[in-house]
Amino acid sequence: MGNIESLAYFIPELILTATVLAVLFADVLGGEREGFDPPANFAFVGCVAAFLAHFTLYSLPSTPLFNGILIHDPFGAFFKGFFIFCTGVTTAMVIVSREVARFKKGEFCVIILCVCIGMCLVAASRDLLMIYLSLELMSLGSYVMAGFSRKIGPSEEASLKFVLYGGVSTGIMLFGISLLYGLTGGTSFEAVRSALAGAGSGIEPIAFLALLMVLVGVGYKVAMVPFHFWAPDVYEGAPTAVTAFLSVASKGTGFALLIRFFFSVFMQPAEGGWATLAPLHFDWGLTIAVLSAITMTVGNIGAYPQTNLKRLLAYSGVAHAGYLLMGVSLMTSTGVEAVIFYLVMYLFTNMTAFFVILVVSESLGTERIAGFRGLWRGAPVAAFMMTLALFSLVGLPPTAGFVGKLYLFYAVLQQKLYWLAVIGVLNSVLSLYYYARIIKAMYLETSSETEPAVHSSPLAGLILIVMAAPVLYFGVFWNPLVEYARYCAHLMQ
Amino acid sequence: MDALLPSLLFYAFAGVILGSAAFTAFARDIVHAAFSLLFTFFGLACLYLYLGADFVGLSQVVIYVGGILVLLLFGVMFTGHQTQETEKRTVNFYWGLALIALLGAGMVPALLKAPWAVKSAAELPEAKSTISSIATLLMTDYLLPFEIASLLLLMALIGAVVIARGETKTDEGESPETSA
Repeated sequence: MGNIESLAYFIPELILTATVLAVLFADVLGGEREGFDPPANFAFVGCVAAFLAHFTLYSLPSTPLFNGILIHDPFGAFFKGFFIFCTGVTTAMVIVSREVARFKKGEFCVIILCVCIGMCLVAASRDLLMIYLSLELMSLGSYVMAGFSRKIGPSEEASLKFVLYGGVSTGIMLFGISLLYGLTGGTSFEAVRSALAGAGSGIEPIAFLALLMVLVGVGYKVAMVPFHFWAPDVYEGAPTAVTAFLSVASKGTGFALLIRFFFSVFMQPAEGGWATLAPLHFDWGLTIAVLSAITMTVGNIGAYPQTNLKRLLAYSGVAHAGYLLMGVSLMTSTGVEAVIFYLVMYLFTNMTAFFVILVVSESLGTERIAGFRGLWRGAPVAAFMMTLALFSLVGLPPTAGFVGKLYLFYAVLQQKLYWLAVIGVLNSVLSLYYYARIIKAMYLETSSETEPAVHSSPLAGLILIVMAAPVLYFGVFWNPLVEYARYCAHLMQ
Repeated sequence: MDALLPSLLFYAFAGVILGSAAFTAFARDIVHAAFSLLFTFFGLACLYLYLGADFVGLSQVVIYVGGILVLLLFGVMFTGHQTQETEKRTVNFYWGLALIALLGAGMVPALLKAPWAVKSAAELPEAKSTISSIATLLMTDYLLPFEIASLLLLMALIGAVVIARGETKTDEGESPETSA
């Protein structure tokens, strides 16, 4: 489809781009009034409009866009909605908190909106050039966002570490992409795949090398072991709203990239899923399955000694990347469905957890588990929401986390990967301990000081309820979400 | 004889690029490193011209040598560059060496044996300036990446301002917190 006709499929991104300009002008022209931030409010409204507009995408037929640079399919539409929703929630968190200095909120919103556009394009790319460009749009913005905190020191350290690790991993990924171009002489996924499929067996070692190099870039984005070292430091140092955004949206981008890139370039559709291209004999699914087992184990064990809540959730995020990789390694549509379901549940759960940390740490000035002692006396609602989120992260009923894990393990068992399912279940049990430690601190221990008093605005409470309600709702009525995930697992190649 | 000269040229350029890049990486004085980068950029420009990419080659000189490198040197000089040598510590030297040896042993044979998509001389377009075809592609097939690149530059500009500005103005009368 040509450039002009494609615009009808590009409305969410167009709204976001218009919002970027509106925020810039509002920031420059708007005066400073008490309790009202025009740039951040514009950004939030833009996200809501873009999120509503993304629903129109589902009724459109799957087709290549912009002369084959992008593609429109239900899979891409789902991820666009996912990223825009994350951006909207993060903007709301910035509006209600004081983490980002008020005079910097305009710049912050411009950057986060650009990052969101980058993420949307990653999920829809169909060309090596475009996927690299959109990844850079997303990564460069994330590096700046990690340094936005008012606390001098940890935030800058986080930002710098993020840039250094990110730069190296992107460089390796680009090397892999250049090898693919050298092997096939084309940049569109279609050209690369058909050239790889038609190649002789001599292509195997070099194609494997290219695949591994691309996997380094993806592994960095999703915090897969051994590329997870940046996560704890960055999660701890970045503003909490940014940490929440990175933990959910950045991970989502990694999985969108992984599924889109690998399934379109190295795979061909087979019965019920995908199979590796004929000239490439290596068992790609098994490689990912082993990596997923290592990732979840390292993440869960790493979480044990942590005393800072954001660091602990960083290791928990590594473990969850492991669970999600399990779904990808199956190379079946059931696996992709389970990944989509799990990502939606992870969005609500993690956003709730980080929002509680944000509200509590702004009042109490601490992010340590010890600071949460006796929280239920001072802030019963926050303590309850946190408990709900932690239950969901462990995977206990009646939360969405339980259903997410159930579908994931069901998909694994369907492929008869029993060892992987056993490791996954053992890991869930392992994770119970460190999540329960937080719940114990909140309910059973008492603070040495006077009762912790948590002040929050009614708006913050409203956002918290909106985030936490789906955790419970989808834990009981999961069928609509399963149907939605099943529809969104359709990839066009 | 026909094939010898082009490959000699290629290896000469590649040698210049690799040598100067290695000097940049290992130089102890940051100004020396920046000057050595000049040869890397020029070598790359020559390589682009050698491949027939005239526009890319000239842009490389104009943007990297003329702009970025000069900016880099200005940055070094204005941010209180002392002549003392930067301290360097090498950690995990033997592990790194082992990793490189392992990767090299895997990569070099794979790269040498790879069936690259090589075009014969007849398939190549006739040698002429690439500017007009680049312009056509940017306005047709690659219009979207072109526009997204401008968004990327806008964001990078704002991000750079945010980082460079520092805390000149404080919010609500509070001084920025410093934590240990």
